[in-house]
Amino acid sequence: MTGEWIRFGFVALFLISSLVCFTLAVTGVYRLGFILNRMHAAGIGDTLGLLFATIACFIAPAELSDTLKIILLVLFMWFTSPVSTHFLSQVEYYTNSDLYRYTDRDLSVRR
Amino acid sequence: MIKDYFDHWLDGECDPTRDIYEIARVPDASRSELKDMARKSREEIASRDTTRSAISAQKKGFYAIYTIVAIVSCIALIGVLLYSVSLLPQYGRVNPRAAAVVERYIEDGVAETGAINIVSGIILDYRAFDTLGESHVLFTALLCVMVLLRMDSKNMRNKKEDYALMMHENFFDLSHDGIIRTVAKVLLPSLLVFGAYVLLNGQNSPGGGFSGGSILGATLIIAASSFGLSRIGNVFTRRASECATFISLSFYSFAKGYVFFTGANGLENHIPKGTPGAILSGGLILPLDIAVGIVVTCTMFGFYSLFRKGMIGNDN
Amino acid sequence: MIETAYEYLYYGALIWLGLLILAMLIRSIIGPRITDRLLAINMIGTMVICAIAVLSRALGEGFLIDVALIYAMISFVSVLILARTYIPASGLRGRFADEERGEYEEARDSIGDEVLEGEAPGEEDSHDR
Repeated sequence: MTGEWIRFGFVALFLISSLVCFTLAVTGVYRLGFILNRMHAAGIGDTLGLLFATIACFIAPAELSDTLKIILLVLFMWFTSPVSTHFLSQVEYYTNSDLYRYTDRDLSVRR
Repeated sequence: MIKDYFDHWLDGECDPTRDIYEIARVPDASRSELKDMARKSREEIASRDTTRSAISAQKKGFYAIYTIVAIVSCIALIGVLLYSVSLLPQYGRVNPRAAAVVERYIEDGVAETGAINIVSGIILDYRAFDTLGESHVLFTALLCVMVLLRMDSKNMRNKKEDYALMMHENFFDLSHDGIIRTVAKVLLPSLLVFGAYVLLNGQNSPGGGFSGGSILGATLIIAASSFGLSRIGNVFTRRASECATFISLSFYSFAKGYVFFTGANGLENHIPKGTPGAILSGGLILPLDIAVGIVVTCTMFGFYSLFRKGMIGNDN
Repeated sequence: MIETAYEYLYYGALIWLGLLILAMLIRSIIGPRITDRLLAINMIGTMVICAIAVLSRALGEGFLIDVALIYAMISFVSVLILARTYIPASGLRGRFADEERGEYEEARDSIGDEVLEGEAPGEEDSHDR
């Protein structure tokens, strides 16, 4: 019986820390000034929050096939979420002509 | 004389508005001369009196009437639709006209179709005729888009004149990225396997032909964005896509036609139903899922390729 | 006792995630550049995946994880295709606008006059001269 309560404790811990990560990510996107800074907050907060939430669902009582599919989900998201952020930063780099105002170095050398 | 002119026009031998709406084709002129001729003809048309009076009539009254008619017809349409929605039974209550059909589906569904997933049993067994029509609609949509958008030898002017178009596309092409290629090498096999899993599991859990086909189509789109459309076009040619869709649709039509024929005449079709819960169960549901999945995959990737490049595959 | 504790936990997490999704939706309307909006849509997608995973535990159904996996794939494909469409489409107005416009116009004007020789294949018979 206490085993069940320990399991519940761990699930609650991981789920609440994932919610904290997502909240920090959303706060970062609202408070930071420039899009390339916001991408830092969004990318890191998203990925970590998803990891904690899936660990919580992994520990929670479930069937075997569901837990294996959750591992597949987190592997897929960890492969593709950084690539999406990489592409968004490429969009910003190639289409913003006032980038020199926000950076220290001279970015006018191409590729 | 006018009758001869009219007969000529009716046979397609002459075109009276040719010098008014288009510039006559002068093959010796250079590009800048053609641009000058186009600009002059546009200015000439804009300076005529009929054009000016038409434009001022538009500005005066036409737009006011247009706005009023638009608002009135929108309100009328919204009123009619809301009234007909209010005649439907309330959400969640038993529909008195459809109760018998719903009971039959729920109680005898597993025994009669052999599929645990009742939705798959309905769309591919009880109401397979509608799904047949839907697959034909997908195929026809792909054909129509091909008719409208395909660049073949009849509507490409020269191979050289659309050189500017292709140079524009290659100039801004960005598939030299190493990151997406490495990630795609790992992701694509697992995504293909996952798509096949969703497709083959149509009768036991939510999935089936349409969702599995969409996953496979989206996987091909990721592959085309990572490795370049020409490399995928070496495998996925126009003939391959046409053959695949045609064979799948014919198989669906003939197999289901046999079932319709035997069912309508009260005969027994000897298609084994298997045990509910296994993969090879549900009678014809599994092969029909595969056929629908192939049609959906070819349609999705065909749309992407036609909109981006104008052809499926690499040559015409 | 434990069941109600789990229920409170899951549904509370779902409500909080819903509020965060609403906040990101507002961000996608405000954001001054298009990259802000794309970023907001990406984050909404990730939070929806998280919510579907938590929902599958709350309802006890196993097939919702498949739905989450498909949604992850669709959001990845959409960000990929939108980014790759937007960069070439705005190429002549973006960062390298002046250099690239010059190069592009040079290349386009250097095609020359020999391109316009010859008939288009569909128009061979409609001369009325």
